[in-house]
Amino acid sequence: MPAENKTFSEMWYRVAGLSVWLGPQVRVRRQHFRGDVWHLVEDPFNNSFYRLRPQAYDFVGRLRKGRSIEEVWSECLELDPDGAPGQDEVIQLLAQLHQANLLHGDLPPDHAKIFERYRKRKQRERRFIWKHLMFARFPLWDPDAFLVRTLPLVRWLARPWVILLWLGIVAFAAKGVLENTSGLGAQAMNLLAFENLLLLYAAIVVVKTLHEFGHAYTCRGLGGEVHTMGIMLLVLSPLPYMDATASWSFRERWKRIAVASAGMGVELVVAAFAALVWVAAGEGLARDLAFNIMLVASVSTLVFNANPLLRYDGYYILADLLDIPNLHSRGQKQVRHLAEHYLFGLKKSKSPANSAYEAGWLTAHGILAGIYRVVVFAGIIFFVSTQYLLLGLLMAVICLVSWLVVPAGKFAKYLADSPSLQRNRTRALLVTAGGAAVVFGLLAVLPFPQSMRAPGILRAAEFSEVVTEAEGRLVAQLTPGGTFVEAGTPLLRLENEDLHREIESVSARLRELEVRWRRALGEATPDLAAIEQSRLALEARRARLLSRAAALVVRAPVAGVWSFPQSEEMAGAWLARGARIGHVLSEGDFVFTAIVSQRTASRLFADETRAGRIRLAGQGGMPIPVGRVLFIQAEQDRLPSAALGVLGGGSVATAANDAEGVRTTEAFFEVRAFLPPEQDALLRHGLTGSLRFNLPPEPLTRQAGRRLRQLFQTHFSL
Amino acid sequence: MIAPSAHYRSLRVRVPPKVHEGLDALAWRVAGVARRRDSVRRQLLAEAEQIDRRAGEWQNLTEADLRGRLFAARDAARRGRSEGAEWRLGALGAIREAAARTTGLRPYPVQLAGALALHRGLLCEMATGEGKTLTAALAAIMAGWSGKPCHVITVNDYLAERDARWFRKLYDFCGVTVGPVVSTMEPDERRSHYAADVTYTTSKEVVADFLRDRLRLGRVPEPERRLLHATLSGGGSNGRDVLISRSPHAAIVDEADSVLIDEAVTPLIICRPQPNDSLNEAVRLADRIAAGLVEGRDYRIDHRYKEVDLLPAASVRIAELRAKLPTFWSGAARRRELIEMALSARIFYRRGHQYVVQEGKVVIVDEFTGRLMPNRTWREGLHQAVEAMEGLPITDPSEILARLSFQRFFRLYRKLSGMTGTARETAAECWKVYGLPVVAIPPHRPCRRDHLPTRFFAGADGKWAAVVAEIVTMNALGRPVLAGTRSVEASEHLAGLLAEAGLRCHVLNAVRHAEEARIVARAGERGRITIATNMAGRGTDILLGAGVAALGGLHVVATEPNESTRIDRQLFGRAGRQGNPGSARAFVSLEDDLIRRYVPALLRSQTTFAFRLMPEPMAKRSAAGLLRYARRAAQRLASVQRGNVLRTDKWADESLSFAGKNRDS
Repeated sequence: MPAENKTFSEMWYRVAGLSVWLGPQVRVRRQHFRGDVWHLVEDPFNNSFYRLRPQAYDFVGRLRKGRSIEEVWSECLELDPDGAPGQDEVIQLLAQLHQANLLHGDLPPDHAKIFERYRKRKQRERRFIWKHLMFARFPLWDPDAFLVRTLPLVRWLARPWVILLWLGIVAFAAKGVLENTSGLGAQAMNLLAFENLLLLYAAIVVVKTLHEFGHAYTCRGLGGEVHTMGIMLLVLSPLPYMDATASWSFRERWKRIAVASAGMGVELVVAAFAALVWVAAGEGLARDLAFNIMLVASVSTLVFNANPLLRYDGYYILADLLDIPNLHSRGQKQVRHLAEHYLFGLKKSKSPANSAYEAGWLTAHGILAGIYRVVVFAGIIFFVSTQYLLLGLLMAVICLVSWLVVPAGKFAKYLADSPSLQRNRTRALLVTAGGAAVVFGLLAVLPFPQSMRAPGILRAAEFSEVVTEAEGRLVAQLTPGGTFVEAGTPLLRLENEDLHREIESVSARLRELEVRWRRALGEATPDLAAIEQSRLALEARRARLLSRAAALVVRAPVAGVWSFPQSEEMAGAWLARGARIGHVLSEGDFVFTAIVSQRTASRLFADETRAGRIRLAGQGGMPIPVGRVLFIQAEQDRLPSAALGVLGGGSVATAANDAEGVRTTEAFFEVRAFLPPEQDALLRHGLTGSLRFNLPPEPLTRQAGRRLRQLFQTHFSL
Repeated sequence: MIAPSAHYRSLRVRVPPKVHEGLDALAWRVAGVARRRDSVRRQLLAEAEQIDRRAGEWQNLTEADLRGRLFAARDAARRGRSEGAEWRLGALGAIREAAARTTGLRPYPVQLAGALALHRGLLCEMATGEGKTLTAALAAIMAGWSGKPCHVITVNDYLAERDARWFRKLYDFCGVTVGPVVSTMEPDERRSHYAADVTYTTSKEVVADFLRDRLRLGRVPEPERRLLHATLSGGGSNGRDVLISRSPHAAIVDEADSVLIDEAVTPLIICRPQPNDSLNEAVRLADRIAAGLVEGRDYRIDHRYKEVDLLPAASVRIAELRAKLPTFWSGAARRRELIEMALSARIFYRRGHQYVVQEGKVVIVDEFTGRLMPNRTWREGLHQAVEAMEGLPITDPSEILARLSFQRFFRLYRKLSGMTGTARETAAECWKVYGLPVVAIPPHRPCRRDHLPTRFFAGADGKWAAVVAEIVTMNALGRPVLAGTRSVEASEHLAGLLAEAGLRCHVLNAVRHAEEARIVARAGERGRITIATNMAGRGTDILLGAGVAALGGLHVVATEPNESTRIDRQLFGRAGRQGNPGSARAFVSLEDDLIRRYVPALLRSQTTFAFRLMPEPMAKRSAAGLLRYARRAAQRLASVQRGNVLRTDKWADESLSFAGKNRDS
C-alpha cells in the first residue's frame, strides 16, 4: 500500500515493537538469477512461497523470537546502510510474508483474520475462474503418491541413450512426413470438419495428458512435489493440467528448464510415433487419429508451447535462459513504464528492469508478446470462423470485450483518477486524445484504396466455333491447331463408313429404280408415276448424304487462327453431328468476361469505379492493363464457361442439378473488359483469371463494416 | 464499585463495520437511497406534531410530577425499553417541557423532529440558526438515560464548554450527568467528565483520548483477555483505573459534514519525542551541503507540488557526505532523502509564513487561519531540517505511537448521529463510510435571507475595491456587515482598506474562541462592521440590534471562495437566522487562492484574458465556470485523500493483522 520507500513510515509504530519470525515449517533455499542470489522462502505444507532479494533476506533471516523488529532493522542499517530496506519496505515485506502465512509472532494470532484471509483467497480463486473462463482450472486430484509409485517405471525414458533414441525416431518420422507432404495438405484441409472434431479433441486430450505427465514426472524425478491435477477449460473445452510449479523453487537452472521442456519433449516423441503410424497405415480411423495426434502434438507445440511470447512452457524456458524471472508481467510493466515516462512525462515512473540488458529484453518481450497474442488469437478466430461462423463470432466478441473494452475501461479509469497521474493528467489526456485521434484518423477518416476481384475468363473478341456438320470418326488433322487459316481451308477429316455404305445403298436402289422405270416404260404400266416419285425421293436423299460426306472434311468457317485445344483427346474419337471441336479466332482482340455477384455489383455500377488489371491464371506476375469496360446491366445465371464454376475448378457456385456446371446458384452480372491489342502476356482464348476493380478509396472502418455486413448477409440472409 | 458488566462495556470496542466494496457497495448504495427516502422525514415531522399537540399533557404537571415522568422514562431506557413510539413521544414531550422550564426555550416541532432523527441514528440537515444546540441536547438526554456514554461532538472547545454550561440545568432536571472535555483539561478532570452520561467535546479530543487509552492498554486490549490476565496474575490492573474515556457508544456530531468529511482527510496521530542523535547530526550536515547546492545545476524545483528533484550533478556532492554521516544515514537512498528534506526546508519554508521562531523554537503557522500551532511538528526530519536551517537547537523527532483515522473511529460508535446545515452534498459519502442516512428537516420559519448574485473580477485589486464599496453602501444604510475572509492576512488587508475609506471595523484576530464568539455575537448591532475568518466564531448566534431587522438585517460578504460551497453556505448562514431578514453576497476574483491552486495556469490566464474582453454576462458565466472547475478539482483532491485514508486503513487491517488487531481500533 505505501507507495514510496522512505526511510520512515507512519505505520512503523504498529510493527516496531513486535517480535516475529519465520515459522518452523518454513524452508529457505538459495537460487541464482542473473548472478544475483535470491532466497526462496517456502512452506511445503501449503506450497506457498515467496522470493526475497538478498537484503530482504538479510533482514528476515535475522528475525528471532524475542527480538523486536525495530532492533533487527537498526542492526541491518548499521551493517549495510546502502542496501537495508526502509521502514515502508520492511512493513510491506512482513505483510506479504504474513499473507502467505509464513510468519509466526509473539502475539496470539487473530483467528478471525486467518479465516477471513482464507475466505478472501477462496473468493479470489473463484473470481479468477470467472475472469479467466477461457482458461479456468478446476483442481481434482493429488497425483503425488501416484507419481512417486510409478516413477521407477518411467524413469528409464529419460536416460541419455533413450533420449538419443527419441531424437532418432523424431528425425526418422520427420523424413517420413516430408515424403508425404501432398497427403498432409489434403488431410489438413478438413482438420476442423465436423466429422473430424471428435477425433481432434480425442487427440488433444491424449497429447495434453501425456504432456502434463511429462512435466509432472520430470518435476517429481528432480525432487519437486506435484500436488494438483485437474481439468482446465481451455476455450471451454476441458483438458487435463498438472501443477508443476514446485519446480520454480529448484535451485539449478537446468532443472527448471528440464521440467518446462519435458512436456514438449513428450509431445514431440508422440508426434513422431503418430507420424510413423500415419505414413504406414492405410485409410481408416487409425490413420485419421494418428494424423490428428501428429498435427496437435507438433503444431500446438510450435505455435503455443514452444513460443516464448505466450505464457506457456517456452516462456518459462526463455525466462530461465535469460535469467529474468517474471518476464511477462515485468515486460508489461516495462512497456507501461515507457509509455508513462516518455508519453505522459511521468519522470517518477520507475522501470522494473534492473539493468540495460533486462530493460532491452523486457521491452522486446512486452511489445512482441502483446502483438503476437493478438495476431495468434485473431488467426484462431479467423480459422474457426471460416468453419463455424457463429462460434468464431462468439470468440471474437469475447476477445473484443476482454482485450479492448475491458482494458479501455481500465485505461479510462486510470486516466481519470490514477493518483500517479495526478500531475501529468492534462498531458496524459492530451497524448491519449492525440493517439486516439491518430488511430481514429487512420481508421475512420483517411481513405484507403480498395479493390475488388472478380473471376472471369479470357475470350477472343470475335471467334467462330468449328462444329461438325456430319458425324464421323476423326481420322486426320489436316491443319495443325494454332495456324492461321483462310476460310474454307480443310481442317480435319472425318471418316464415316456407315455414311458411305448408305450412299452406296441409296445409289444401288436408284439404279434398281432406273431399271424398273425402263421396264415400266416399256410395259406402260401404271406404276410409272410411283416409280418416278420414289426415284426423286431417293435422289434427294443421296444428295443430302453426299453433302454430308463432303462435310466430313471440316473446313474453317472464317479466316483466323485455328484453335483445336483437344486435339490429343479427340484423335480417333467418334464425333457426333454438331459437336464443338474448336474455334477459329480472329486474331488480335481479346475480351475478358468477368463475373460479378449481385451483392457486390451495386458498388461497381456506382461512379468512379475503374477496372484495374487482369491477372491470368499462371501469369500472375504479368498484370494486364484494361482498356474499355462494359458493364452489362442484366442479371444472368449461365456462366460463359464451365471453367468458372466450381465443377470446372473455378470459384463460382453452380447449381447442383446442373451437370454442365454453368448454371449459377445466384444471379450475377457480367462485366466485359476489352484488352488492348499489344500485350506481353500470352493471351489464349479460354484462360481464366481475375479482374481487379479499383473502387473509390474509403476509410478502413467502412470497408471492414461492409465486409462484415456482407458476411452476415451470406450466412444469415439478413 | 463498578459492576463487571460496566467494566466490560467500558473496554469493549466494537469491530468497525466494513466499508463495502464491489457489488456489496452497489447494494449498500441502493439501501442508502431507500434510507434517505422522503417518508422518513414525514414520519419524523408527524411524530413531532403529535408531541406538540399533546403539549398540554406536560405543561400542566407540577415540577415533581414532571420529574417523575422523566425518571420513569429514564428507568425504561435503562431497562432497554427505549424503542417504542410511545416511550419516544412521552420522553421527548417531557424533556421538551423540562427544557422550557429550565432554559426558557421551548423547542419547536422541527427541533423535536431533529431530536427524533438523532435518536434514530440519522444525519439531520437543519438550516443554520434553527437551534441545533438545543436539538442535540434533547437527543443527548434520551441517549444519556441509558447509562452508556453519549458524546456530543462540537467543532471547538469553546462551544463544547458553552453548550455543556447552557444546558446543565436541563440535564440535571432530567437526571442526566453532563461534562465538557476540552484541550486544556488534566487527565483526572477528563476522566470524571467522560464518566458523565453526556460528554461535550471535540472530535480531536475524543479521538486522542481514545487512542491514548488504547496505548495504555498495550498489547492486550480485549476485555476478555485482560480479565483472564488479571485473574491469573492475581489481581493486577484490569485496565479500568488507567483509562480516561469509556469506549465509544453513542455520538451526536454537530457540523457533521466538517467533522466526518472535511477533517477526515488526515488521520489523528499521537506522538512522543524520541531522542535520535544520529538524525540530529545528519540533519546539520545535510543542511550544510544543501546550502552549497545551486538550483538548475544540482536540483530542480516543482513549485506547484512543493517538491525538489535532485539532478545527477548533486550526487557528487552528496557522495561526500558518506564518510561523515552516522552509519544509519550513510546509505545512498537515505542520504538523498536527507538532502531533499534540507532543500525543501530551504526553498519552501519561510519564516513568518509557514512558521515563526519563538523562544528558540520553530512554531508552525496554520496557513489558513494564521494561528500558531505550538504543539505541532512536521514529519520526521523535516522539522529538524527547518531548525537546522534556522540554526536553532534541534529538537528530538517525534515518534508515532498511534494513528487512527476519523473514518475508522466514528465507525466504532454503535449509535452515530449527526447534524449539519449542509448535508446534501455529502449524503452519499456519509452513507458509504459511516452508514448515516441523511434526512432534511424543514426550517421552523421560512428563510428570509436574500442571496445576491456573486460578483466576479479579473484581479484581486478590483475585487477588494468592490468589497469596500459594498461595505460602505451597506454601512451608509446602517446595516451591520460581516465580512468573511480565508486568512488572517486577508482580513488585515481588508481592515486597512476600510480604514482608508474612513470606516471603523472590528477585526477578529483573537486566538481564543471565547473572545471570537463574543465579538461575532455582537456583529449584528446597528452600523457595525466585523471582519472575521470563515471559521471564526462558528456556532455563535448573531443577534440583530434594535431596528436592524427593519433595515434589512445583517449583510454577509464572502470575500474569497472556499474549497467547498458548504463552507460558503455556512458563512452565509450567519445572516437571516431564525426568520430574521438578511442578505449575502460572494466576491470572487480570478486571482483568488482557490482558483490559482486548482486551475491549470494556462486555462486560468486564458480565461482571465477573455474575461477582460467579453461582455458582462458572458464573462460572468465563464468565470463561474472556472470557479466550478476549481471547486471540483479541490473536492476531488480531498476525496482522493479520504479514499487513501480508507485504503490505508483497510490495508493495515488486512496485511498487518499480525501486529495485533486492536492496536488502534
